[in-house]
Amino acid sequence: MDEKFDCIIVGAGVAGLTAAMILARNNMKFLLIEKGEFPGSKNVSGGVIWGEDLSRLVPEYWHETDGGWDRYINHRRLTFIDEQSSFSIDFKSDHFNTPPYAGIVVLRSKFDRWLAGKVEEAIAESDFAMDSFIATNILVEEILMEKDKAVGIRTGDEKFYADSIILAEGVNNLLTRQAGLQNDYVPADHILTGVKEIIRYDQNVLEDRFQLNGLSGMSNEYVGFATRGVEGGGFLYTNRDTISIGLVLGLKDLRKKGLKPHDILSDFKAHPVIKDTIRGGEVVEYSAHVVSSGDKRIMPKKLYKDGLLVCGEAANLLMNAGKAIQGMDYAMRSGILAAESAIKARDAGDFSSHIMKGYQDALNNSYVMQDINNFQDAVHLLHNPVMYQKMPNLINHFGRNFFTIRNEPTKKAHAMFRESVSEHASWMDLIKIGIKGARSL
Amino acid sequence: MKRLNLTERLGLISYRNQSKSDIKPHIRVETDICNSVCPHKCTTYVCPANCYTMDEEGKVHFQVEDCIECGTCMYACDQGAVTWEFPDPEIGRGITWNYG
Ligand SMILES: Cc1cc2nc3c(=O)[nH]c(=O)nc-3n(C[C@H](O)[C@H](O)[C@H](O)COP(=O)(O)OP(=O)(O)OC[C@H]3O[C@@H](n4cnc5c(N)ncnc54)[C@H](O)[C@@H]3O)c2cc1C
Ligand code: SF4
Ligand code: SF4
Repeated sequence: MDEKFDCIIVGAGVAGLTAAMILARNNMKFLLIEKGEFPGSKNVSGGVIWGEDLSRLVPEYWHETDGGWDRYINHRRLTFIDEQSSFSIDFKSDHFNTPPYAGIVVLRSKFDRWLAGKVEEAIAESDFAMDSFIATNILVEEILMEKDKAVGIRTGDEKFYADSIILAEGVNNLLTRQAGLQNDYVPADHILTGVKEIIRYDQNVLEDRFQLNGLSGMSNEYVGFATRGVEGGGFLYTNRDTISIGLVLGLKDLRKKGLKPHDILSDFKAHPVIKDTIRGGEVVEYSAHVVSSGDKRIMPKKLYKDGLLVCGEAANLLMNAGKAIQGMDYAMRSGILAAESAIKARDAGDFSSHIMKGYQDALNNSYVMQDINNFQDAVHLLHNPVMYQKMPNLINHFGRNFFTIRNEPTKKAHAMFRESVSEHASWMDLIKIGIKGARSL
Repeated sequence: MKRLNLTERLGLISYRNQSKSDIKPHIRVETDICNSVCPHKCTTYVCPANCYTMDEEGKVHFQVEDCIECGTCMYACDQGAVTWEFPDPEIGRGITWNYG
């Protein structure tokens, strides 16, 4: 393996595997390096992959019912909770039952491994069947630079060289920092800590409990008391015979409030509404991982250098505006675009910033950066205490009154609403949130 | 559902090189900083694996064995006490998720 590669990809998560698939299909000779025992073994997500890009990588993946995905989403719910109650917006539709699916639930240890298998197949069909590799159990420690151009990587005493390097190392992006594209210390301000459990059930019980049919699945996001007043939110997704339940918690706020993430998770699971939902299962895994907030202020300004491209959450590409977390679909799209730029560079024989900049331009024109740019206000709104504390309380107060039937004269809904507002917020809060909300969505 | 404590939760995790007693730590903490200037000692509560602990005298201690590589302390410590790296696949600890 002492010859030079066309490209080296660091990290076999969603972004790196996606880039590898595109490289293999375009007859690039590449090395994909992963530090885990197998692709996916180090990775955590909620996990819904939103959108249809997966079918670009693995056409008609939905026929593989024993493939890397668990269920497709046809039932969505957004729940506001206070200490005792929940108020949900619930949407289920037949419309979501036909592929390409709008969202699929995955478990990363299984999904990434499966996708890596697909990449291996693509390598086998490429011109470099014997010269491109997915190498696991290897930690990249350094990006080798020559005259400010990335030329290779170092692991231990070994060095590998390539015309271009794609960093797909995820949010804990030590190499992106080393390359000078992000500060060495990234403060907690726009970072969240995710904690999660996998709870197993008898599959029939799970399907009955969540009204699933065949491989259909449900996604539920939670805003409000789920986080005990810490900014952030909760999620519950149905897998084949398990559920993924967890929280994402604003790290700066967690630090300020002096709370432990695992305690908040325990409280969330003990909430009267959640408790009934998850009854009877067996916890089979506890995990945690940081995740970006979607706030642009944390993102590296430049995602390329001579010979270098950064994609996926290594570039903090993420959207979380309350109704979903989008990190994996952004990882996929940016992985596609990074690989396409590496291929363009090979074709042009030019690996300088001049060509690499085309990647950032393409990303800016894609839905990823368009959404990140257009929904900054929504991201900020989710981290506004009125939104994650007062609103859920107000909504549930209203819900309680609205759904209570007494043997006495009933108030009109608007009067009930006025009461809820005076109890839990102020009209000023509502007006401000209303204006911000209207602008941000 | 029974409320699990952290020890029970960590007991569900598959760590790498678990049989090796002499692992290379991937995180170094200058506890002198923790125990002199740090105003919040936040890693003792934000770490989801409780790798940072405080003794009866309020002194901070760090041990890497249970670390699940989440990254939290790298951002949470604003005092410059944490040097954070990924575990070495051969001689480090770290995790292999069964579900992820
Ligand atoms: C609790 C939680 C819930 C989430 N929910 C969702 C959700 O529902 N939907 C969604 O779309 N997103 C969700 N996300 C976000 C999503 O998980 C990430 O955005 C996504 O995993 C990013 O993919 P990636 O390929 O960029 O990075 P990663 O998946 O982190 O992959 C990076 C890979 O690089 C490897 N690596 C890193 N450094 C090195 C090195 N030096 N040498 C060798 N290998 C290295 C790692 O081992 C890893 O395999 C969630 C995240 C969390 C934490
Ligand atoms: S925040 Fe940093 S300095 Fe403070 S106790 Fe934790 S590791 Fe030590
Ligand atoms: S990386 Fe996460 S689990 Fe490991 S010590 Fe830091 S906060 Fe704790």
